[in-house]
Amino acid sequence: MTAEFRWTRKDLLSLYDLSAEEITYILDTAEEFKKVSERNVKKVPALRGKTVVNFFVEPSTRTRVSFELAEQRLSADIVNMTASTSSLTKGESLLDTVRNIEALQVDLLVMRHRATGAQNFIAQNVSCGVINAGDGAHSHPTQALLDMFTIREKKGRIKGLKVAIIGDILHSRVARSNMWGLLKLGADVVFAGPATLVPREFEEAGVKVCHRLEEALEGADVVNLLRIQHERQSAGFFPSINEYSRFFGINQENIKRLKPDTLIMHPGPINRDVELDSSVADGPNSVILEQVTNGLAVRMAVLFLVAGCGGKR
Amino acid sequence: MTTEKLLFNTGEVQDGVQHLCEAVLRDFKENPDYVLLGLHKQGVPLAERIADHLEEKTGTRPAVGKLDISMYRDDIGLRSGLPLIRETVIPFNMEDAKVILVDDVLSSGRAIRAALSAVTSFGRPACLRLAVLIDRGRPEFPIRADYVGFNAFDVDPAQKIVLKLTENDGEDAAVAIQWR
Amino acid sequence: MNDILLKGGRVVDPGRNIDQVMDLGISNGVFADPADLHDPEVVDVSGLVVTPGFIDVHVHLRQPGNTAAETIATGTLAAAAGGFTSIVAMPNTNPPADTAGAIEYLRSQAAQKGCVRVLPCGCLTKGRQGKEMAGIGGLAAAGVAAFSDDGSCVQDHALMRHLAEYIQSFNLPILDHCENDCLAAGGVMHEGKWSVLLGMKGYCSAAEELMVARDVILSRMTGARFHIQHISSKECVRLLAEARRDRLPVTAEVTPHHIALTDECIKTYDTNFKMNPPLRSEEDRKALIEGLASGVITVIATDHAPHTNTAKMVEFDDAPFGVVGLETALPVSLTILYHGGVLTLPQLISKFTTGPAEVLGLKRYDLRNGNPADVTIFDPEKSFTVDPEKFRSKARNTPFAGRTYKGVIKRTYVGGKLVFQQ
Repeated sequence: MTAEFRWTRKDLLSLYDLSAEEITYILDTAEEFKKVSERNVKKVPALRGKTVVNFFVEPSTRTRVSFELAEQRLSADIVNMTASTSSLTKGESLLDTVRNIEALQVDLLVMRHRATGAQNFIAQNVSCGVINAGDGAHSHPTQALLDMFTIREKKGRIKGLKVAIIGDILHSRVARSNMWGLLKLGADVVFAGPATLVPREFEEAGVKVCHRLEEALEGADVVNLLRIQHERQSAGFFPSINEYSRFFGINQENIKRLKPDTLIMHPGPINRDVELDSSVADGPNSVILEQVTNGLAVRMAVLFLVAGCGGKR
Repeated sequence: MTTEKLLFNTGEVQDGVQHLCEAVLRDFKENPDYVLLGLHKQGVPLAERIADHLEEKTGTRPAVGKLDISMYRDDIGLRSGLPLIRETVIPFNMEDAKVILVDDVLSSGRAIRAALSAVTSFGRPACLRLAVLIDRGRPEFPIRADYVGFNAFDVDPAQKIVLKLTENDGEDAAVAIQWR
Repeated sequence: MNDILLKGGRVVDPGRNIDQVMDLGISNGVFADPADLHDPEVVDVSGLVVTPGFIDVHVHLRQPGNTAAETIATGTLAAAAGGFTSIVAMPNTNPPADTAGAIEYLRSQAAQKGCVRVLPCGCLTKGRQGKEMAGIGGLAAAGVAAFSDDGSCVQDHALMRHLAEYIQSFNLPILDHCENDCLAAGGVMHEGKWSVLLGMKGYCSAAEELMVARDVILSRMTGARFHIQHISSKECVRLLAEARRDRLPVTAEVTPHHIALTDECIKTYDTNFKMNPPLRSEEDRKALIEGLASGVITVIATDHAPHTNTAKMVEFDDAPFGVVGLETALPVSLTILYHGGVLTLPQLISKFTTGPAEVLGLKRYDLRNGNPADVTIFDPEKSFTVDPEKFRSKARNTPFAGRTYKGVIKRTYVGGKLVFQQ
């Protein structure tokens, strides 16, 4: 990292937009914030006097709690809004809702939305900083950053590692964000699952696509499982959850194919014994809870950097 | 491109460091339980140099910590970009510790104010002292240094004093640049 | 009305294979021999191209139902500014044009407020619901130029077959918006590399191609005239080529945006790139251009679909489909196809004149003496940058804002009347 490098983005929307240097910079910053949460006084005044609105148009539990705690540990003032507590229910447009929030001199907007690109659209039209907490199947940058932080912490590097991401890639913003971030930092990314959920087009981004689990697990340094949603069965993407689990889930049998030090990751919430066997989720290779811990550090770093870049464009 | 103007040459800076070390030494002899806490970035090598000196003269080397104050600054959002947060290492218990903060230049005093917040979030020290290499003499906060290498009261306030140290920059010198 | 002499222009009249510098006379609203004019107003059009008035077989005027987005007055003005002298008004208004009364309303409003010819199009099915035939004969008697459920596609193949057969009694074409609802459900953009990378819900080109194939098969079976609206994929062009090789009465149109842009544009999340059918891949775009060059595609139509800024300034998923196109159609097409070396000028002009005239069954659509004097005059070399604020259309939802194209409409005459000049 060069001494001259400085963070200058007012928004964090997608890892697709970031350079490898910027991603590394966030991870480095997060290392220092992780230590803050290990102290007796788990709070720093970095965002004192700043107002952060957590606007979760799509419901969320763990991401919202993680962001809220990160904001509190940075001493920011916080307002939480959901779709049901906003004027969206009265038919107000998203842009009007956000402009009204902004008119209250808000510094940062942390936003989750069901529609791909909603945060990009909002960021183009407001001057406060926007942090994407997940949009549609598009992008969830802080989740990918915490995954990468965990991998780097455990493996000491990201470059050259084989990272297999398994499951419903088609509908996953976690997979897409991990893909851009990991590729930029030089990892080999493998997407695996049934062809209905893992389209070949991902190969154009530089990912290896495979439709048999064995191929993905072979030699993997990291296996990241995605939650499989029951709705996908009724939409005809696979015959049944049972069958999915049998052919595309990680269990005690196929885990034997993995190297002894392969990391098992999951963005949560886990469907135990569906995509991931309970004994594996709780086993020695699992870093699933550490991902949660690291999420806090990564979100503190992102909030600190985005708030600190100078606000107005 | 920022233009640099040499303010103090290698000899002058090194004399200042020597003077600062001597000043700290006088109190350290009385209180050998003092610990040093260098502020990133130039306060860290300065603290090491002071520790070297104290060890050489007394045979006792004080504990040396490193402190990054970025999270405690009050000007977040006012600057054009953020520098990397560096590692904070506190190899001693802050409770009841006698701490000498070490920084390169005492200018507005805001960095030291941030450092006071930072330190107290680690515990409740018995006393806090401040050692700076260069004192500009016009702090914006009621903050004064206990130990000073040399004064630079006459430097134009429109200019920022940047200290270079061999450990980080390959040479000892102090230059003036225009504030951004 | 004074006689008019259009002097010294390059007259391109594809219907008569004319491409030469010559004078053109207008008297009493029809073309006349320049030698027979009495004290004409002489208009120097040297350096400009003079052609039969353009026909757009695919325009949404939004009246009645959404006059915040467009009206007959503003829509026809935009048409005139784009060089169009006749436009086919799609029936997906609110209420839809599925009755003779709705057609009567459109005709009377167009006569009062329109500045170009508005050719009504009737619905294929009642309420565009795809369940029951609309009153086809009554609509024909009220003067529709064609039938379409544009925006929706009749999913029931038996119903479409009966429509294809029944409409033959009235000798009018079916303009079909080809889309299979099952395959398209929920999609907001072309399914391909960019939908996958962006995580947008894509809908595959097969949704369109299946219905194009259906229409070709029904045309072969019934002999009905099918005009495929806004074809957008490579496979559609292949299906069409096969139909035309077999001399089936199947034609197709392509929009300027589909030959100019691809799905990659959507990575900016600009809802002005959201339309149906969606912008597709570069391979598809090239196939459409190739289809125009080979003569398989005979019509360029705009699918002018105005929306208010309010409607478009929303999340991409929630934005309505459609872009305006009347005022950019010629420059975009001219730049890509003529200046790009794909088509000669007469070939390009035919896609705006004789091609659509054939779809509508208009005979002898050309500049011969005695024909209604619908004329478009443009400068093919002058370049300009698209500024939506300067549109005559009420709407601003263009995907071409800020882009520079060559080709500027200078004058538009409808029945010898000057309806636009700049």
